[in-house]
Amino acid sequence: MALLDIQHLTQFFGGLRAVSDFNIQLEHGEIVGLIGPNGAGKTTVFNVVTGVYTPTKGTIVFDGQNIVGRKTYQITQAGIARTFQNIRLFSKSSVIDNIKIAYHFRMPYGNTDAFLHTRKYWQGEQLVDDYAIDILRLFHLEGHAEDISGSLPYGAQRRLEIARALATKPKLLILDEPAAGMNPAEADQLMEMIHWLRDKFDLTILLIEHQMRVVMGVCERIKVMDFGETICEGVPEYIRNDPRVIEAYLGKGA
Amino acid sequence: MTFLRTHRTLATVIAFALVYAVIKVLSILPLNNGDPLLNAYYIQLIMLAGINIVMTVSLGMVNGFTGQFSIGHAGFMAVGAYTSAMITTVWLHTSTANPWVGYPVFIVAILAGGLLAAAAGYLVGAPSLRLKGDYLAIVTLSANELIRTVIRVTEVLGGPRGLGGIPKFTTLEVVFVFTIVSVVLMRNYLFSSHGRSMKAVRDSEIAAESTGINTTRQKVFVFVFSAFFAGVSGGVFAHLLQFIHPDNFSFMKSLEYLIYLYVGGSTSISGAIVGPAIFTLLPELMRGLQKWRLVIYPLILILTMIFRTEGIMGLKEFSFILIPQRQRKEVSA
Repeated sequence: MALLDIQHLTQFFGGLRAVSDFNIQLEHGEIVGLIGPNGAGKTTVFNVVTGVYTPTKGTIVFDGQNIVGRKTYQITQAGIARTFQNIRLFSKSSVIDNIKIAYHFRMPYGNTDAFLHTRKYWQGEQLVDDYAIDILRLFHLEGHAEDISGSLPYGAQRRLEIARALATKPKLLILDEPAAGMNPAEADQLMEMIHWLRDKFDLTILLIEHQMRVVMGVCERIKVMDFGETICEGVPEYIRNDPRVIEAYLGKGA
Repeated sequence: MTFLRTHRTLATVIAFALVYAVIKVLSILPLNNGDPLLNAYYIQLIMLAGINIVMTVSLGMVNGFTGQFSIGHAGFMAVGAYTSAMITTVWLHTSTANPWVGYPVFIVAILAGGLLAAAAGYLVGAPSLRLKGDYLAIVTLSANELIRTVIRVTEVLGGPRGLGGIPKFTTLEVVFVFTIVSVVLMRNYLFSSHGRSMKAVRDSEIAAESTGINTTRQKVFVFVFSAFFAGVSGGVFAHLLQFIHPDNFSFMKSLEYLIYLYVGGSTSISGAIVGPAIFTLLPELMRGLQKWRLVIYPLILILTMIFRTEGIMGLKEFSFILIPQRQRKEVSA
């Protein structure tokens, strides 16, 4: 059974049809790309899946459960984590606190323990500190643990955002333009990282990306959107040569 | 000293206790031509400063650390003040001033005031905190004026004449214990997983939501406990002045707390202590300047906001406020 199954998803904003009749099935362990020109509805699909918008029509089944109408935080707790097109870190908090926040919904202590700093509080804090530092090490950010996250260099902020998403222990990770603003060397590292993430954490990954080198290099399957419609779907080699995709997005000579 | 570095709550208590000791000594020793340096008037001012500290720290929980904009904090103070004053005046009417009966009743009364204020906070916060944006400001401002107006027209509460005859339970000791306990509790909450998610809501609500935080519940809870502490402060305040009037709790009073908070530093507990401490005492210390203090007081505010936009303390905390960092093991991998 597919991990994520979206059927006939349609999203209206007033009279504007942002997404129409969108279908996708993600199998466990796949890396799938979503591409298309600006305004094609890619980010809207992400926002609907993560519960920011409730879809006008359609069903979204994740891990056997219908998640339409659930709140964003409930969907995250069910196992879908995301990053944002424009980085949204908790910029005034420290790097390690950014990770710890992603552990909050698993925290074994409650409000009373927080007020009184009970034994349970100290145990929980130790637990989350170990957990967070382990994740930072995986992303080579442990040296910056106590720095304010807003002061990190751009590439490190991108990595931290992915690390934070991962800290919620997701089954499905969705990345909104992870390579935006990266130079080719950084993009290469990112591609390696996406493969490594999938293998190490047994993830399924859905991503939006405009850098074709990244999309073609990392995705096993690609879906192309234009004006809210799906115009093509297939393996990278097929997409690259499809005349409709070349017309709408890639351009001649790509 | 190492012991104090690892036991910060104790350090906080000691810091406050030292301040208390100094004040107590200055209020007894006849240093001023046979009179103590701090007379009853100054002691009352210091007590008001302690109450203002709790009001400001609790307001800072909502405005500074959760990033919401509440501007009607005095309304919750009024709920607490009137509730507790009604309980003590009615209950203690016959049993006169026996301190052994009095103080337990007083404690029950101020806690009841806090709880009722928390309930009012829930009524105000639950619907408006679901929305993003400035709605909370509008709703809290209206709630503040609504509470004041309802008190004004309620005859049992003294109406526009105010409520008098409240027994004086608030002493310097009561204020110190109350301030320390309140500040430590709120400090503890801030330095917890829940406190981290408050700051996450402030920095980016959508990112907080997508890291699995129920942002609405977190915001409402902070707002409710902030109202609770405002309510208890109101109770302590009522039993200090022994007379309360609805106009004590007008929007202008709320504005005072906003000034204390933003001048002290809204993103720092230390700032929310320093701000009200300075600005409660300052107007009195400047009494010698006569009418010029009305010029100098706002001038100080303006200059602080120009040169220290983030408030006097900015993001800094006194070291006794902070929770000690755990020494992490070196990389094992």
